[in-house]
Amino acid sequence: MTRLIVNRIFATVLVLLGVSFVVFAALHFSPGDVARTILGLGATEERVQALRQELGLDRPLFIQFWDWLVALLRGDLGRSISLSVPVSDVISDKIWASLLLMGASFALTVSFGLLFAALSGGHHRSLLDRLITLLMLFLASLPPFSLGIILLIVFGLQLRIFPISGVGAMADDATVYVVAKHLFLPAVTTAVSSLAVVARVTRSAFIDEMGEPYVQAARARGHSEGRIITVETMRNVLPSFVTIAGLQIGFLFSSALFSEIIFNWPGIGLQLYQGILQRDFPVVQGCVLAIAIVFVIGNLLADILAIVLDPRRRG
Amino acid sequence: MINFAKKRLCKAKNKFLNGFLAIALAAVTLTSPASAAKDTLTIGIEADLARLDPHISTTWNTFKALLHMYEGFVAEDLLAVGVKTPPIVPALAESWEISADKKTYTFKLREGVSFHDGEPWNAKAAKFNLDRMTNPDFEFHQPGSVGLLSWVWGDLESYEIVNDYTFEIKLKQPNAEFLRRLSAGGSGTPRMISPAAVRKYGNDGINTNPVGTGPFKFGERKVGVETVLIKNNNYWDEKRVPQFQKLILRGIPEVTTRELGLLTGELDMISTPSPDSLEYLEAQGITLVKGPVSTIYPIWLNFREGPLKDVRVRRAMAMAIDREGMTKYLRRGTATPAYGILNYGGPGWDPEYRDFAYDPEGAKKLLAEAGYPNGFETRLDWTMGGGGDVNTRADAEWLQRDLGRIGIRAKIELFDNGTYWDMLAKGTREGTCCMQVSWGETGFFWLDLILPTTAQPPNGFNSGYYENPKMNKLLASARATSSEAEMVKILHEIRDIVTEDVAFIPLYTPIQVYAMRPEVKGFVLAPQHWADYTSVYKD
Repeated sequence: MTRLIVNRIFATVLVLLGVSFVVFAALHFSPGDVARTILGLGATEERVQALRQELGLDRPLFIQFWDWLVALLRGDLGRSISLSVPVSDVISDKIWASLLLMGASFALTVSFGLLFAALSGGHHRSLLDRLITLLMLFLASLPPFSLGIILLIVFGLQLRIFPISGVGAMADDATVYVVAKHLFLPAVTTAVSSLAVVARVTRSAFIDEMGEPYVQAARARGHSEGRIITVETMRNVLPSFVTIAGLQIGFLFSSALFSEIIFNWPGIGLQLYQGILQRDFPVVQGCVLAIAIVFVIGNLLADILAIVLDPRRRG
Repeated sequence: MINFAKKRLCKAKNKFLNGFLAIALAAVTLTSPASAAKDTLTIGIEADLARLDPHISTTWNTFKALLHMYEGFVAEDLLAVGVKTPPIVPALAESWEISADKKTYTFKLREGVSFHDGEPWNAKAAKFNLDRMTNPDFEFHQPGSVGLLSWVWGDLESYEIVNDYTFEIKLKQPNAEFLRRLSAGGSGTPRMISPAAVRKYGNDGINTNPVGTGPFKFGERKVGVETVLIKNNNYWDEKRVPQFQKLILRGIPEVTTRELGLLTGELDMISTPSPDSLEYLEAQGITLVKGPVSTIYPIWLNFREGPLKDVRVRRAMAMAIDREGMTKYLRRGTATPAYGILNYGGPGWDPEYRDFAYDPEGAKKLLAEAGYPNGFETRLDWTMGGGGDVNTRADAEWLQRDLGRIGIRAKIELFDNGTYWDMLAKGTREGTCCMQVSWGETGFFWLDLILPTTAQPPNGFNSGYYENPKMNKLLASARATSSEAEMVKILHEIRDIVTEDVAFIPLYTPIQVYAMRPEVKGFVLAPQHWADYTSVYKD
């Protein structure tokens, strides 16, 4: 098992290296000239060339990549073009805001995903099962950008239960309650479609398990249905549940991007969006890299958890 | 055993969540709620601000903050009501004299003014700033400002301190627009920074510690969230003393979120609501303030694209476009048709001037005459816009339909604003007939970037390769005139030639919209890309 985990970690490092090269190269080859962006409309061609030299943009690509990577390992992501401050200063706060949003929506996804799966999978073909299946189908096909706005109009504008945008007061009345209030709608918006996917896949796992002989044996021993679902089958459902939940991390990221824009949640997604609008390469690089790292590490953790939970995968 | 594992998992999850909240509370810088307090004005703008160093500032949105923190020798009076162009008024210079040859400007500096950090404003401070913008050998030279401010300092010959409160600037040649350029903003602005602050924080440090002389001083900034400005209690100009303590600018790119924030009171005021929401917002008791802005949406025509080499084809295209219909039905009153390349609010704009009449039948005939009775295929390269641009995609679709009616079949390709400007800087690509961005200023210096042959890519934005050497001479002589009447006369000549050559097809002048809560009063909408918020108060 240890070996398997070490292998996964090693592979993750390689993936991260690959990702960082892709991030570096993608922006390098995209249209536009960083030097001209910095110098502005009226700059002469000579000045642009001089700055290109100063920034080292005229050197071979791999040398530029190597320097960039070495700086990166020191935590130096370069300077933002539009803001003239270090990229790490710009995005460090944003990473926490995004992790908070992701954490909350991930918690919603796994808890409610599992709950709905157990309720419907455990009572296969009941009315409850059908209702939940229908609901999940509906939720899975709801794009976050429309759901977010609907939630805002209903709960923010009409019922005035939740605030419209931002993270909540920090300086004046910094409470978990205020942050949670700001967090609720974006987290729900981000979670909904992933939650539905988790519920549907895990439901199938429950249905499979419920047909196994050991479940009949448990029934014969007089165990209650509730116990059979929450205890007997749960153990065998967990590995596939963890795998599908781990896969949702990626989907949650893309949903979070929309939620952050709609709810003006100052996370990495909103910063990425503003970075793209302002053509701020270093910020875009930093954001994409941060997202990639969290994504890859999230998947690694899910993999390791699945290995730990499932004896069959320990090889 | 299973129960135990489950419990452990749950516990871990709880810990995980609590950890998140704790970390977030400690590390995330959070936004304060738009207080209903009378002493705070919270404004939702279209994008977060860019850098706060005025000498290398970039976006129009950023200038909404800069104009409240920094001042220059002169300023545009954005509180003037009912004007087409904001008048130029004294700011850090009390008065000025212009020599008979129009090349020497002697500024009498305002006494008793200090920067927000207590540093006095005087001729030394002026020289420090001029050095920073223009002198490459200066210790605190800002290299980025050379390009960004070339439209201001391009004609600069020299400058010197005459005495403590007198400062002289010499130009290589007369520039009829020099004071206008000194007062302008947007892409680089020649406003004064405290020399002590530059020494203390360094050149880059000004972006996070901006120190000027304006009616507001910098409070704090949370990048991507908000910027807070605090009232300057020692401000010199009685007319611009803020009516509230705190000005909060929040960049909210999603227009629906801006509108909802305004409706719930999280925001006191927003810029650029969606044209489709205006009726609804008004019905909810929101006040709308509308007015034209010194901007034009001209179409760049590609002179290197086969059929467009013929002026008859270009004229046919211009005649095919229904600008009046577009502003009425598509823009729904948030634009007026633009005629001629001179923009509203800029010098020489004439409300009576007309260029091409809408005449699709005539256009078809003209196209046939030019040898294209069945039209041709081409492409519109378009931008999704930035800042105050609204639904530019619909513009492209309207043009596609209008051109289609005379047989010109155009595909539309859309790009983000950053990429689009790079494309414009590189020149219109093969196969594309038309490009468009919003431009125009209260001066005419932007024409220097789009009309002369010297501004063809990569040296400017004459991106359709318009080739008329007369432009170079006329623009230079317009700049060098010594009276406004003379300048306007030449600008009219330029406008007429651009129309004659059909180098551009002007589309419309946007009507900008600010929406505010009913208790917000006193706002003056300037015909500019920004506004002065000092006159605003809450009832």
